[in-house]
Amino acid sequence: MDLKYVQTTCPYCGTGCSFNLVVKDGKVVGTQPYKRSPVNEGKVCPKGTYAHEFVNSPDRLTKPLIKKDGKFVEATWDEAYDLIAQKFKSYKPDEIACLSSARVSNEENYLLMKLARGVFKTRHIDHCARLCHASTVAGLAASFGSGAMTNSILDIAESKCVFVIGSNTFEQHPLIGRKIVQAKLNGAKVIVFDPRYTPTAKQADLYASFYSGTDVAVLNCLMGEIIRNGWEDKEWVSKRAKGYEELKATVLKDDYLPENVEKISGIAAADLKTAAEWIGTAESSALLYSMGITQHTVGVDNVKSTANLQMLTGNIGRRGGGVNALRGQNNVQGACDMGALPVVFTGYQKVIDEAVHKKFADAWGFPDGICEPKNGYEVTVMFNVLTDNPGELKAMYIMGENPMLSDPDLTHAEHALEQLEFLVVQDIFLTETAQHADVVLPASCYAEKEGTQTSTERRVQMWRKAQDPPGEAKVDWQILSEVGAAMGYADQFPYQSAEEIFNEMASLTPSYHGMNYERLNRPEALHWPCPSEDHPGTPILHIGKCSHPDGMGVMHPIEWKPPAEVPDAEYPYILTTGRCLWHWHTGSMTRRSETLDNEVPTGWIEINTEDAQALGIADKEMVRATSRRGTVDVPAKVTDEIKKGVMFMPFHFKECAANVLTNNALDPIAKIPEFKACAVKVEKITEEA
Amino acid sequence: MAAKGDMVYAWAADAACQERGECGGAVTALLTHALESGMVDAVFAIKKGQDIYDAVPTLITDPAEIAETAGSLHCGTLLLSKLVKKYLEGAENMRIAVPVKGCDAMGLYELAKRNQVNLDNILMIGLNCGGSVSPVLARKMIAEKFEVDPDDVVKEEIDKGQFIIVTKDGQHKGISMDELEEEGYGRRSNCRRCKMKVPRQADLACGNWGVIGDKAGNATFVEVCSEKGANLLDAAIKAGELKTEAANPKGIEIRGKVENAMLKLGDKWRAKDFEALGEGKERLKTIMDATSRCIKCYACIENCPICYCVECSTKKAYLVEPGQVPPPFMFHLIRYAHISDSCINCGQCEENCAMDIPNALFMHALQVDLQEMFGHTPGVDMELPVLAMVEEQTERKRLSDTGSDQIFNIFE
Repeated sequence: MDLKYVQTTCPYCGTGCSFNLVVKDGKVVGTQPYKRSPVNEGKVCPKGTYAHEFVNSPDRLTKPLIKKDGKFVEATWDEAYDLIAQKFKSYKPDEIACLSSARVSNEENYLLMKLARGVFKTRHIDHCARLCHASTVAGLAASFGSGAMTNSILDIAESKCVFVIGSNTFEQHPLIGRKIVQAKLNGAKVIVFDPRYTPTAKQADLYASFYSGTDVAVLNCLMGEIIRNGWEDKEWVSKRAKGYEELKATVLKDDYLPENVEKISGIAAADLKTAAEWIGTAESSALLYSMGITQHTVGVDNVKSTANLQMLTGNIGRRGGGVNALRGQNNVQGACDMGALPVVFTGYQKVIDEAVHKKFADAWGFPDGICEPKNGYEVTVMFNVLTDNPGELKAMYIMGENPMLSDPDLTHAEHALEQLEFLVVQDIFLTETAQHADVVLPASCYAEKEGTQTSTERRVQMWRKAQDPPGEAKVDWQILSEVGAAMGYADQFPYQSAEEIFNEMASLTPSYHGMNYERLNRPEALHWPCPSEDHPGTPILHIGKCSHPDGMGVMHPIEWKPPAEVPDAEYPYILTTGRCLWHWHTGSMTRRSETLDNEVPTGWIEINTEDAQALGIADKEMVRATSRRGTVDVPAKVTDEIKKGVMFMPFHFKECAANVLTNNALDPIAKIPEFKACAVKVEKITEEA
Repeated sequence: MAAKGDMVYAWAADAACQERGECGGAVTALLTHALESGMVDAVFAIKKGQDIYDAVPTLITDPAEIAETAGSLHCGTLLLSKLVKKYLEGAENMRIAVPVKGCDAMGLYELAKRNQVNLDNILMIGLNCGGSVSPVLARKMIAEKFEVDPDDVVKEEIDKGQFIIVTKDGQHKGISMDELEEEGYGRRSNCRRCKMKVPRQADLACGNWGVIGDKAGNATFVEVCSEKGANLLDAAIKAGELKTEAANPKGIEIRGKVENAMLKLGDKWRAKDFEALGEGKERLKTIMDATSRCIKCYACIENCPICYCVECSTKKAYLVEPGQVPPPFMFHLIRYAHISDSCINCGQCEENCAMDIPNALFMHALQVDLQEMFGHTPGVDMELPVLAMVEEQTERKRLSDTGSDQIFNIFE
């Protein structure tokens, strides 16, 4: 018998927990705590405890598939590569789009970015960060000059006041939830504002429910109260911030007085005042947010408002403070860092910058050049172009993403994919998206490869190989290299290991410049920016000065705007969507994990008890939810733990997919859809219906 | 010939093994002999991972690899017992030598009672243990209290009431455990309450307490605790791999004093910790408040050496609503009902809890109460736990006849 532990980093959320995979006779059979991890000290959430269960699922893809006459048939790798090369060579660069993945490693994101811009020569590359934190990247970059979480996870435990708005931390970043617990045990006050009385809310000293989409009004109100009471950090505001007078003029408007914001948000004026006092007078106050802030047509406004509040109270560049934008996926930070975005190369170096463009073109050495130095399409725009301007985009390469369940307005998403002439999907399961593909390439999961991923706190940590991929499945970076070679660019993809790819990337990326596998192999790893090999990394950003060229933080005066779609007589309820503790996004992994599936086998819609009574709906009854986009039948969960007038659905479940209902309205800057607010009606299912 | 009860000083014959191992390398020599001679098929032990704060379990079948497990790691807070059940088929098909701390040995006994491990196939080399320190807290303690970069520490030990570190430039620095623990550093809270310092239910009990004179630091005090242990000791000596001499009577006395001092310290911590929990409704409220932040990660169950059921009651929908977070209090009640009579206070349910719920404290407090009531001590021998004494059919009939809800009649 052969038994070994392989220490690795969790493939689910952005916290960056480590655990050991237990490998018995060459197969992953369990997980065990890795107590040496500074992030989670061996502790994990249920997804971590059972992260081995899907790895050897019988549903894993083991052979390339080619669709012939509408049916998938097994193919050899050579057949698949030949077909992909033949097809992609036949399209113009602007007819091709690529979706990279927040689920795969930095090395693999970098490589797909190189494949897109160097081989396909297309401008159009994006990934699902568009759907979660595009507004963070844009908003925080405007405020501070860097679009990432400002402080570190461990730092949250040091805070004296933790303000959680738009994050259900206990379910979505559970081991960051633990830091809230630690802060509280150390005497911090915890404030949670959320439309739902979540497990996070239950730990709060002050909880208030509010209407989804009223965040700016709430934040402006808090700032107004803080200024009226003289609680602002005058030194920070005078020395480090620009735009204070304009911000002040906005937030002091009568519209944002607590009594008025009570009407907009549903939070009692007294609670708003209490929150303002706690935040304004605490020695340090950390703000935690996630999708509740970002997934709105005003996502960028929301993000800038959180930054305003934290600058106003001097909580930027301070221990226990910060704008802690909790990134959703294991490597969504890294996928952005790697330039899997339509406007930047790695490390947020702009594609429209001629010098940067030349640097990458020279370093890569494609004999026929790379894509033109122009911004490409965001994923949400790609899908709109597909439906609104058929023929403009013809082929797509999707790695490790499942837009057929994760994108807003799924009917629209399906219609968009159907417009494609040729679709390649590289994944570990035959997902809803892969079913639409012409070629499916069997890829590897986290337990089957080396590589790095970057957590929400910008900590770059290793994945370590525990077992071989199943059947003929291959490691993703190897697949991408072989596609590059099949297209005639073998010289540009000579890699023998993930480490070689990392080193190439680091040489082109200032914030990763000082990193290498030897340094990253330590349990503490490194936080970017880490510009040189003797640099210790940067757990807390913006100490002393912000990342803008002039070092200043920028305050933005922002007026509250309602969501794109608000309740009316026909669709009288606000629908908000999200995740639950037990499942990951489109469920392709967690629904194949027996323990997790047993806990929560299907979806639901949360309905306030009073609303349910008015509708004559009982708990667990199958009901019909309808928006302007579509209809789903879904079991009701009648509960007092959601605000009256608001309903909630998790988006993991294809049989009752929340995204059939959601609205494809976009934030004008970040192009993030409004997953968190649309109008719905809910009906009892009658026999004749 | 050695016999149960014998006490000797022992050290490895091989100079390299002496050098690598702790206190003359006797344990390393014993494990090597057990594997080389075919007495066991494998050794299951702990080796150093990334650094001295990182303990990694390893299954060894090549005697040359045993050297990797030599030396001590006080920041290794693993429990091997459950791993033997989970990943080594409970030693059903393989004879395994396992170096065990008190909690490892107790866990193996409890699993054996439940037919989850085969003790006949397990050779337990007991290790005296004064407690262990969680790795991340140890690093914090070294940085903050010792004011030393934890990466510069090459060795740590717990001796004479101090936590002592040795840096790579040879500096020694020690701070009293009492001082560290008053400030929230030091050993895990379950270790502080532990009273299994010399694991005599193992086949041999090995340690450095009581080694005096010229052998101090160069030999291991070995107490023979079973015939299996005696056989291993004899065979290792006969093979020329281990050298021994009779333990100094003065040393035996000192060892007894050290052990007693540790037990008294354990009592002190029990009194302190349990008192803070309060009693009756107050204790219940403390427990309900702390468990209200549970996210049902199942770490307490997965890592518990008492939990073994294939069909776990916490996963029955009629008892615990699936998917609910935090889970209903019934989730925790099931654990208290099923575990508390046998809890060995290994601390895993607390150390691995995602929400820092002091689960081990709660369970240990219950166990100590039950031990007072029923006189059953878990983990020391094969005596069955209290509930196992109940004839289920008889009890069911009694309950139905009398209408009582007292499942086990404690007043009989």
